[in-house]
Amino acid sequence: MISIEHVSKSFPGVQALDDVSFSIADGEVHGLVGENGAGKSTLIKILSGIYPDYQGSIRIDEQLSRFTSVHDAQSHGMATIFQELTVIQELSVAENIFLGREPVRFGGILDWGAMRRRSSEVLEFLDAPLDPRTLVGRLSVANQQIVEICKALVLDSRIIIMDEPTSSLTEHEVRQLFLLIRRLRERGITILYVSHKIEEIFEICDSVTVFRDGKHIGTIAKDKTTADEVIRMMVGRSLSTMFPSRTSSKGELLLSVRGLSRSGEFQDINFDLYGGEILGFAGLIGAGRTEVARAIFGATRLEGGELTLYDRRQRSFRHPQQAISRGLVYLSEDRKGEGLMLQLSIRENMSLSILQKISRSLFIQSSKERELVDSFISKFKVKLTSMDQLVESLSGGNQQKIIISKLLLTEARVFIFDEPTRGIDVGAKYEIYKIMNDLTSEGKGIIFISSELPEVLGVADRIFCMREGRILKEFSREEANPETVMRVLLGGTAA
Amino acid sequence: MNDRIAKLRGIGQAKTLLILFIVNAVIMVALSFLSRTFLTYGNITAVMMRMSELAMLAIAETIVIISGGFDLSVGATMALSGAVAGTLYVAGVPFPVAFALALASGAGVGALNAFLVVALRLQPFIVTVATMTMVRSIVYALLKGNVLTEFPEGFLNLGYVYILKIPVIFLIVVATAVLVIILLRRTIVGRRIFAIGANERTAFVSGIYVKRIKFLVYCLAGLICALGGLLFTARIRAIIPDAGINAPLEVITAVLIGGTLITGGKGSVLGSLLGILAMFLLLNGFNLLGLNPFWEVIILGIILIYVVGQESISVSFRAFFARRKAARSARST
Amino acid sequence: MREINNHQQSAKGPVRYVPRGWLQRFFQVRELPILLYIIIMMIVFSISINGFLAVKNFENISRQITTIGIVSVGMTLIILTGGIDLSVGAMLSFAINIGGQGIVQGWPMWVVYPFMLLLGLALGFINGFLVTRIAVPALIITLGTMNIYRGILMVITKGRYITPIPSAYNALGRGFIPFIIFAVILALFIFITLRTRFGRNLFSIGGAEQSALYSGVPVRRYKMIVYVISGFLSALAGLILIGKSGFIQPQAGTGYELNAIAAVVIGGTSIFGGSGSVLGTFLGSVLMGLILAGLTMLAVNPYWIGLITGVLIILAIAVDSLRVLRR
Repeated sequence: MISIEHVSKSFPGVQALDDVSFSIADGEVHGLVGENGAGKSTLIKILSGIYPDYQGSIRIDEQLSRFTSVHDAQSHGMATIFQELTVIQELSVAENIFLGREPVRFGGILDWGAMRRRSSEVLEFLDAPLDPRTLVGRLSVANQQIVEICKALVLDSRIIIMDEPTSSLTEHEVRQLFLLIRRLRERGITILYVSHKIEEIFEICDSVTVFRDGKHIGTIAKDKTTADEVIRMMVGRSLSTMFPSRTSSKGELLLSVRGLSRSGEFQDINFDLYGGEILGFAGLIGAGRTEVARAIFGATRLEGGELTLYDRRQRSFRHPQQAISRGLVYLSEDRKGEGLMLQLSIRENMSLSILQKISRSLFIQSSKERELVDSFISKFKVKLTSMDQLVESLSGGNQQKIIISKLLLTEARVFIFDEPTRGIDVGAKYEIYKIMNDLTSEGKGIIFISSELPEVLGVADRIFCMREGRILKEFSREEANPETVMRVLLGGTAA
Repeated sequence: MNDRIAKLRGIGQAKTLLILFIVNAVIMVALSFLSRTFLTYGNITAVMMRMSELAMLAIAETIVIISGGFDLSVGATMALSGAVAGTLYVAGVPFPVAFALALASGAGVGALNAFLVVALRLQPFIVTVATMTMVRSIVYALLKGNVLTEFPEGFLNLGYVYILKIPVIFLIVVATAVLVIILLRRTIVGRRIFAIGANERTAFVSGIYVKRIKFLVYCLAGLICALGGLLFTARIRAIIPDAGINAPLEVITAVLIGGTLITGGKGSVLGSLLGILAMFLLLNGFNLLGLNPFWEVIILGIILIYVVGQESISVSFRAFFARRKAARSARST
Repeated sequence: MREINNHQQSAKGPVRYVPRGWLQRFFQVRELPILLYIIIMMIVFSISINGFLAVKNFENISRQITTIGIVSVGMTLIILTGGIDLSVGAMLSFAINIGGQGIVQGWPMWVVYPFMLLLGLALGFINGFLVTRIAVPALIITLGTMNIYRGILMVITKGRYITPIPSAYNALGRGFIPFIIFAVILALFIFITLRTRFGRNLFSIGGAEQSALYSGVPVRRYKMIVYVISGFLSALAGLILIGKSGFIQPQAGTGYELNAIAAVVIGGTSIFGGSGSVLGTFLGSVLMGLILAGLTMLAVNPYWIGLITGVLIILAIAVDSLRVLRR
């Protein structure tokens, strides 16, 4: 029995968990749902021992536990199967299962006999037909996951946390996993099943907890609720004051895409973007929205389909520079990894895409650069000491403003914003929505990708729902409400 | 607080340069006291000349490291240009042509490096180890293991030419340095090179043709090394097959000491040159004082590890002492 | 599961490379391709050179490859964990030159040999200590220690050779003894990397260090150990070198680091760490030794050897990067 009592954790600029309390019963399969940013992964990390630092307390079987390290958590019977698998590709199944605690004979020599025997036992228990000697790198993702579960079992784990376990599995493999989970439950192991897939939760879990914005919304037994109600708990909140008012007017057709596809990522994407409008793309992680954006932008190669930008039809952009010079720009969802150059100054970051504009032949005109950079710093009221300051010293919101300024300097007309308000405080979010509004009132068009449903609903004029690489449905602002959209995103039949 | 730190980091580059200036100045002052012959015109010009080729290599290496790459083949390329020029000249090719082809050979090595690193996406360290061995092997083959001294008189006498009392060879180095500094700090290409080194993905998404620029960087580096090799040949009036065989280590040490980050994105040609200067001053000093010159290598090794790891070292020290303190107070309670 | 070309793919999720056909499957077993090259080389050489297959020739070749081969074994372990050691040549030279001062002082052999090995251990320990305690890449650290060790030994020896050496020291260099020592080291470390907890964990450190750490693998300790082993093996190679050459020179071991890295990489160990084998390294050094010997006998300009080595290295890493599963 795990009891989570008034647990809170914050990071600079964001409250990840806010006074969360609930309990998980012994031996049950307990589901944890919530949108991205709801706090699920933070809680997982706390329970796994990755974050020893938090407010509140956690009791396991009445005993107060605060894990100081992953090792500590593991020795208390906690095991976590993360979404990114942590198996070692070059080692065999048995070696992975026993990693760090291999049974040895004299002199450090591996006791292969014991390893093989105990691995087979565990594999048999899970009904998994794997040979302990196979190299893990040769196995499918589903089987690699099974190896991780075996590892947890061998550690005598009593609690196994599974983080989005089915994100890379086929239908068939998901079935297998569920059989496995039922077997684990028979053994008395408690499972915390974290997922945003409602239909799975309802199939395999005994009860479900809903998080939203870092807060605990409710914990309820499966047979006492419906999928609709769970969805409502996931998304319901007042939308009114969070977004600046918006009037949209449809301008000229800026971008038109037909039949876009890239194998393994997305298929048959069609839409039109008009000046003055914000096109929202809603979807869960893995839906393929970022992939579509990057392919349109030219960061990756489009395999099928064509796009028409201001009347010029073409197969695809071969390089981001082509898109940028034609007025189509992209704000990456990975701010630190792809949006900024942390060790360089604000000025150098901002002017990166317009170097030719601030130069005479080969040479950069320093005065022109400063002038342009200054204009945006004051326009967006970025808080800084000097434009030569390193960009890594700014807050997330200000960093984002710098990147947006960089894009605006290119005088683009089509903007693709991918998760622009991720990891940013509420005040800065509002400012970014305002910036988006200003852009559209100038006749520019914005493709707005976000995993925060309220945001998409509050900001976009039209909303496309994507799932598994396809556009499922289009909503207009008036038609859309949180539950209907979420239902489309989750797919399947909700109870 | 964050702002102050950011500002400090921003001027961290200036701080490193300042420290290097001071270190060099101190060494020079010390040496001029300890040895009569240090501050003589003869000695100073000798130092200028002797550091010429390594300085060129350092300039080339700085550009590559700033772009996020790494090049161990600098010494071999340097030897290659001399070997190519000499072999062609001996074969009857007019010297200006041989000279040009020698420079081209350097650019060619750079292009090879670029192809392997950029097109095939192989790791720069191992690639340049391979090209280094290959080029060195070509040098040996061309020279048949011998020292080559057949060059036109005019060329060989370059080492004796002075303009305004400064050796012309040294002036060429200075000119190259100035051009490269202008390239890096003031031109579009230079800014892009820094960007790629700082964050290649960001640079790409911002519209920079990363592959092309990296290609340019390696070729340019090869060209500069080739020029350095020709200067070297002129200086010692010959080309030897082992030329530059220890260069990669000395050059990389100097570049890192000079404030260039091994990961790229930040760097200074001036810093690298000051690093080379410091190395040579030390060497010169050891010579004049009759000390074993190998102390220089030892000191360089220590400085290298310290400079690259200084933050980590001081953090470790502080942590170590903090733990000792905590353990002691825990015991005493 | 859909299969497009050779890429097996779940409905969503990472693409995995599944080799098709016997040719591609052939390349999947790490050691097979290089074994093939060796066989081809031997056939080519024995056809074009008289006496290539003679026993005496093999003795020659084996002597070429043993010293570098022993050093390469240590290098393999380090590269498996994702590190590198540029100071092996310097450690070798340090061990035999400084240890050799003992010979000059008249110490008996049973003191000098262990002393040299101890020096190797100590230097390796310093490397390991720095690599595990300071957040500086192993490349830079060993670049620095390489210079430091060489510098110190130069200062102490003043560049002088140590000669003459009592003939007892030739023992390790004569006949088949170097080869036997090499074989023992190979067998030992092949065993360690295949069947001991320490050896298998090296793959985990190189492959996914964070996971290994979380799983309780003593990463820091193991990394330290591989650097110490490298120091020891460098010193051991030095002992054999004394036996072969009959004198001790400060320049000993020059270039060993590059040759060792070449043997490791050509043998199929990934420079990124996490995959490879000691057997592969052995084959890599055999291949290099064969080519060296063969070319010498063909009276090919010995200077072309560097070129060929370089090309081999590039081929090896290109193949390696192709083999890595596309992510």
